[in-house]
Amino acid sequence: MIRKCILLVGLCLTFISCSNNDDESYVDIDLSERMYAGGETTIFSATSIAFRTPAPNLSASDLETHLLGDTQFEAVFVTAPAPVNSGLGSIFNNSSCISCHPNDGRSPFPANISNRSGLLIRASIFGTDENGGPNPVPGFGVQIQNQSIFGYLAEAKYEVLFTEKIETFSDGTVVVLRKPTISLFNPYTNLPSGLMLSPRISTPVFGLGLLEAIPEQYILANQDINDTNGDGISGKANYVWDPVQNRTVLGRFGWKANTGTILVQCAAAYVEDMGITNYVFPNETGHGQSNGQDGLEDDPEIPNSVVNQVVLYCKTLAVPGPRNLQNPTVKEGARLFESLECAKCHIPKQITGASEISALANQTIFPYSDMLLHDMGEDLADNRPDFLATGKEWKTRPLWGIGLTGLINGHTTFLHDGRARNLTEAILWHGGEAQKAKDKFKQLTASQRNAVLEFLNSL
Amino acid sequence: MKNRIFNLSLLAIASATLVNCSSNDDSTETNNNSGLYKEVLTDLSNDVITDTYEELNLKATALKTAVNALTIGDETALTAVKEAWKATRSPWEQSEGFLYGPVDTGGIDPAMDTWPVDVNAMDAILNGSTPITPATLEQNEEARGFHLIEYLVWGVNGNKSASALTTRELEYLRAAAQDLQNNTQLLYDGWKVSGGNFANHFINAGTTGNDGYASQKDALEEIVNGMITIADEVSTGKIQTPLDEGVSTEESRFSNNSKKDFADNMRSIKNIYLGDFNGNNASGLTDIVAPSNSQLDTNMKAKIDAAINAIEAIPGTFTNAVTSNRAAVENARDKVAELQLFIQSQLKPFIANH
Repeated sequence: MIRKCILLVGLCLTFISCSNNDDESYVDIDLSERMYAGGETTIFSATSIAFRTPAPNLSASDLETHLLGDTQFEAVFVTAPAPVNSGLGSIFNNSSCISCHPNDGRSPFPANISNRSGLLIRASIFGTDENGGPNPVPGFGVQIQNQSIFGYLAEAKYEVLFTEKIETFSDGTVVVLRKPTISLFNPYTNLPSGLMLSPRISTPVFGLGLLEAIPEQYILANQDINDTNGDGISGKANYVWDPVQNRTVLGRFGWKANTGTILVQCAAAYVEDMGITNYVFPNETGHGQSNGQDGLEDDPEIPNSVVNQVVLYCKTLAVPGPRNLQNPTVKEGARLFESLECAKCHIPKQITGASEISALANQTIFPYSDMLLHDMGEDLADNRPDFLATGKEWKTRPLWGIGLTGLINGHTTFLHDGRARNLTEAILWHGGEAQKAKDKFKQLTASQRNAVLEFLNSL
Repeated sequence: MKNRIFNLSLLAIASATLVNCSSNDDSTETNNNSGLYKEVLTDLSNDVITDTYEELNLKATALKTAVNALTIGDETALTAVKEAWKATRSPWEQSEGFLYGPVDTGGIDPAMDTWPVDVNAMDAILNGSTPITPATLEQNEEARGFHLIEYLVWGVNGNKSASALTTRELEYLRAAAQDLQNNTQLLYDGWKVSGGNFANHFINAGTTGNDGYASQKDALEEIVNGMITIADEVSTGKIQTPLDEGVSTEESRFSNNSKKDFADNMRSIKNIYLGDFNGNNASGLTDIVAPSNSQLDTNMKAKIDAAINAIEAIPGTFTNAVTSNRAAVENARDKVAELQLFIQSQLKPFIANH
């Protein structure tokens, strides 16, 4: 049903806008409607500001709050007590939002994993907590803080070992992949057995408000938990506990769709990643631990207004528009993206509904994600369940803006643990429900593969 | 430090409407200005940006030497360290009009210019007994860089004497000066042709693949955005925040160097616009603007100078002026904001449509 609508709109646009493409056959996908990837929040810039610009359609008051949030997003926290930005730690992963989301984008795989970086490790033991979420590790919680302020012990340090995996394209081209196994050493107290660890790399923060505003029923419409249509692709919504609403909600954010709202995502990042208590999470992440209390009665360490400004900021960054949509190679790549069935999970189009932020309401957007969980196979598995997500399931990552990663963030490491060093490697790590698509990608000629990459890089 | 852009996006939308339905892939389009663009991009990369970083690295090396010569009670040597800090600070502030590339993607900005100083962390390190090395500081991101050195040298009230220095503070200073210079070296090496050659992204824009700029126009847009970013930061952040929240939020308050910082930020814009640095009379954006719109060129130069003059006209220290000469501070803020608006609304579209 929805697909028909896309086609109709596309045809109209072809007639009214780009009528000189008479050499194209009807099988081409009309990409012109995807120009406004974020609807009216779209900006067009292929420079380092493309992830960190306010949506152009914000109301004056939302823009004002956004700019306050921008300052807070860059605020560097320091050891309490301090006159400015007080309260870092006592245990933490990093000291500012921007340090893990450079230019509001994606962190690279860390050059030195024991230093501060945009990578953190979630942890749990067998079972669930009282809300169906991961069962916290006694003495460590659900995240391993590998940094600490002076005089305190980090929960543990991270280390990594790589193993290789070989993939061979049907034309004989060999790609050597690297698989990181990240583990802990120097724990401040004994780690229990049966520990489950999941490394996670920070992701871009633009467009999040739009994803939050997609009506639930549109996301659920793409669920096919038992694969009744027999295409090998299921798609499953995660349902997660929301500590603000005190109820279970649809999971939308995080690598396993393990968070329902941007508010909870930001508030959890403050407390878990930086050790900054706030109105959603008023207790230090290490409360009850010997290394977790700063001994000060200063909670919450940031006022409610700061949390709300940062939340609005993360909701209202512009989405960068795609580039080179009329390039024949890009168009060929878009066609292949459909025929390989990448687009079955990386569904191009979504529609937003109501939003208290008027700029985000009723937008047609192109995030290339179904917002659902998929079994991605053994190789990508973290074997750590997160609410309804199994150890093999991950949320389909949005692809918008992905082609600007190299320019904006100076690297092209992708996937939850940053293992892929470029888009080809990222594709080759797809397994499980995406195995078929990957296998078809491997059958392509070099120029066809290049077309797929050119398409992805146009986003 | 902070980068904020607003209203840019409206302009971006406007220009996108124009390119939206152009029949060709605009990124590979070349126009008959490509020779001029290449000259400007080459000169700005080599003779302004890379040279600024080279100067920064030289001054940071001199700062290191001055710090190594410092002993407890030697007031002359302490004065030399203060002068060397200011001399290093100047090219750094003159580089903040181009906070893209390795300074950003390599995490060098926070490593050199983190703010505020984590005084508790610094004190804890000073009060400990383990050797203080650059490696110590790499693990303590908020207790390193320009402002840490500034704090140790000037003291919290800005009047520290050499006799007040301690052995541990000297050890800390030597590590911090070395750490700072390690980073200025990384920055310079990241741009220079014989190093990381980030300059190549600009010089050969449009031909460097998906990690680079898709066109010369994109590279020029990056350069203009960098100017807007720093003008916005100075007006709405560095000047406005202390006006709103008091001088504890003033960036270089221990050394009373804030006015110089802000003026050097404006000089960064000027250097990029004119293509000049340290007497290099290279090509800059003016060489694109002046031949076809001399009025725009004249106005741009006047706006830059007005911003510099207004900052320098603030009487006394910035710290005092925030309370006792607010009108002068507000005037400086307004002149910088006018420059920002001019670049956004006049220069940027001119370059985009050139």
